[in-house]
Parts: sequence; C-alpha cells; structure tokens
Amino acid sequence: MRAVLVGLGAVGARSARQLLSSKSVSELVVLSRKPALVEGRVAALGATGVVRLEQLRPAAFAQALAGAGVVLLAAPGPGGELAAASVRASVPVVSVSDDPAEVRTLLELDGEARRRGVAVSAGAGMAPGLSCLLAAWAVTKMDEVTEVHVATLGTGGPACARRRHAALREVLDEWRDGAWARKVAGSGRELVWFPGYSGADCYRVNRPDSLLLTRAFPTLRAATARAAASRRDRFTSRLPMLRPPHPEGTVGAVRVEVRGRRAGEAEVVILGAAGRAALLAGTVAASAAVRAATGRLRPGAGGLASLVSSPGELLAELSERGVNILTFEGGGTPAAW
Amino acid sequence: MATEHRGAGRRANVTLLSRALLAVVMAGLVAVIVRLRGSGGTPPHRGGWRQLSETDLEPMDQA
Repeated sequence: MRAVLVGLGAVGARSARQLLSSKSVSELVVLSRKPALVEGRVAALGATGVVRLEQLRPAAFAQALAGAGVVLLAAPGPGGELAAASVRASVPVVSVSDDPAEVRTLLELDGEARRRGVAVSAGAGMAPGLSCLLAAWAVTKMDEVTEVHVATLGTGGPACARRRHAALREVLDEWRDGAWARKVAGSGRELVWFPGYSGADCYRVNRPDSLLLTRAFPTLRAATARAAASRRDRFTSRLPMLRPPHPEGTVGAVRVEVRGRRAGEAEVVILGAAGRAALLAGTVAASAAVRAATGRLRPGAGGLASLVSSPGELLAELSERGVNILTFEGGGTPAAW
Repeated sequence: MATEHRGAGRRANVTLLSRALLAVVMAGLVAVIVRLRGSGGTPPHRGGWRQLSETDLEPMDQA
C-alpha cells in the first residue's frame, strides 16, 4: 500500500519511520513545501527505493493520490483542501493538526467521507489524538461518562510550539455543564501531576479536544483542555516568540482524567503517557493511518475516540511500539476542575 | 473671590482624577501579580503511576 505523507518535520519524520516499520506500507511518498530542507531526513529513513520525496504542489499531490491507501497530513497550515481532495478520491485522511479551525474544516467533510466510506481522522497526534484514545478506553470502564479533562506538557516540533504559543492567548470554547462557555486562554490554573514528571501548572488553551470529545461522548457535561505553561510563556504569549522553538521539540506528556458513573457509584479514571512529544504524536498518527488504510477506522470525520471501535487494541499496539500507557492509582478522588 | 473658588474646585477635580488613575494602576498591578504568581493546587499526597500492560489494555474493550 502506498502512503502519502505531507510534511516531514519533527512529527512527520517520526510518522514516516513508524509507517515504514508497518507491514502494510510498501511505498511512501513524502510531499514537502521545501524538499531541499528535508533531503537529509529522507536519507536518514534508510528506505531507498521505498520513499519518494517531492515538492508539495497540486499536481504532485493529485498524482500521489492515485492508488494511495492513506494520506497523513503532518505539515502546519491549512490542510482542508488536501483533505477534501483525498476524500473526493476516496482516500482516507489522518491529520495531526491541533488547530481548532483546521479541525472544524476537517469535520465538515463528515458527510462526504461517510458517503464514500472513508475515515477522516482529525487531530491524531498527542493531544488531541492519544488523549482521545485514552478517554475512549477509560469510558469502556464506565456505565456513563460525564467529564473528560485533558492536560499536556511539551510540544512536538517548531510548528506545534508556534501553535501552542498562539493557543495560550486566544479565546476558546469550553464544554461546561452541557453547553459551550467562552473562556480566555491562559486562565484556569491547575496543578497537574504528569507521569514521569513532577507537577506542572496548566492553563486553558485553545485546542480542539473538547470539540472532538463532545462529538464522541454525547453524555459529557464537561470537557476541558489545558497545557503546562510557565509564567514567561503566559506573559509573552501576546508577543512574537522571543526565541526559535527547538527543531526536534521537547519531552512531553499527556494526562487524561475521565469522570463518570459505574454501577451507580462515581468513578474517576486517570490515564497518561510520557515521552518525546513528537514520537508520541508520530506513533499515534502512523498507527491511525495504517488502520484507516486497512478499513479499521469507522467511516466519517471525527477524532480517534469517534472513529476507533476498539481503543484498547490500538493502545496495546501503541504500547508495543514503545508508547507506555500509565494509570494513576491510589490517589483518592481529585478536586473538581 | 469667585476665581479663587473655581481654582480650588479644579484642583480638587485633578486630585480626584489622579487618585482614581492611581487606584486603577494599582489594581492592574495586583491583577498581574495574582495572575502570574501562586500555584494551581496541591500535589497528590498518595498514589502513583502504574504502567498498563498490553493485557491490561486489550480485554477492557470487551468489559
């Protein structure tokens, strides 16, 4: 099967490596806006004859689409047009974007994707992505889910860091008491204990977690998204980034707290994962792409919590690929968010 | 006499305005300090993270 990968940044490179390690992928076409900059990365993949690098142009994309099994969008910037073209060609799409505007654009493809029987997986990175899978798995332990709270630490690559910088200053919609409430990013401080890391103060950010989770779990009363940020991050979020982000991203972690009821009792499940953020995101994206290509994601547009019928199976696969899934036990009932 | 009276009234207005301005600036500074300082809660006193094995993860779908 041929996979088409758009973008070979920190997350794209990890996705490429994971795709090439899959038995389902026999050919990888990498489309980049600046191919000269990523030639070294393509060579480092070490899959001569299997990987083809081309400049991202409409004609090159259309050519790559013909006969492709899946398109993985891992480049910053609007991917809506590329996703729409893929759906029209009945090729499933997986996007790692955590930009709410882009995710909304992808969700608009739901009708067309269902008609053509293909999946459009919006937000298939660390958060949303792994966060949605963890929430979906926790929900299988409950009779009814009422709240999901996602917190993250770290960024995948420069594009993720720039997006997080913007997400800390924007106005956002948060799902509260069964309705959308307008909130300011950078507010709502919570001390969050991440796996493999000490506590970090987290604040509201404009990320599409709430949007994707409420579509997956209609009984939700609250869905929130927070990210760890320092005082400097918040103070300078309204300014241009003071220094360039790290090209390979940072160490990251995700923590998902799911609240609901089981056998009439209140139930809280806390799950997490830690590692290099780009690696977590790339592994999730590649695994989702292989599932989409092999028809193991539900048709339609949505987050992984909506499209994956067996979250435990996919989490086990991620665990095999080195993503350690953890649960927080014995801490009692945490305070309300 | 009337001119002196008007001058005193203007001085009182300016004083009131400058005090109001000072109060707004002080409130802003306090807001910035409150927003930037402090902590978002207390760390958990018990419990810890446990890694889930593949067998932990898989059967849950059938539960």
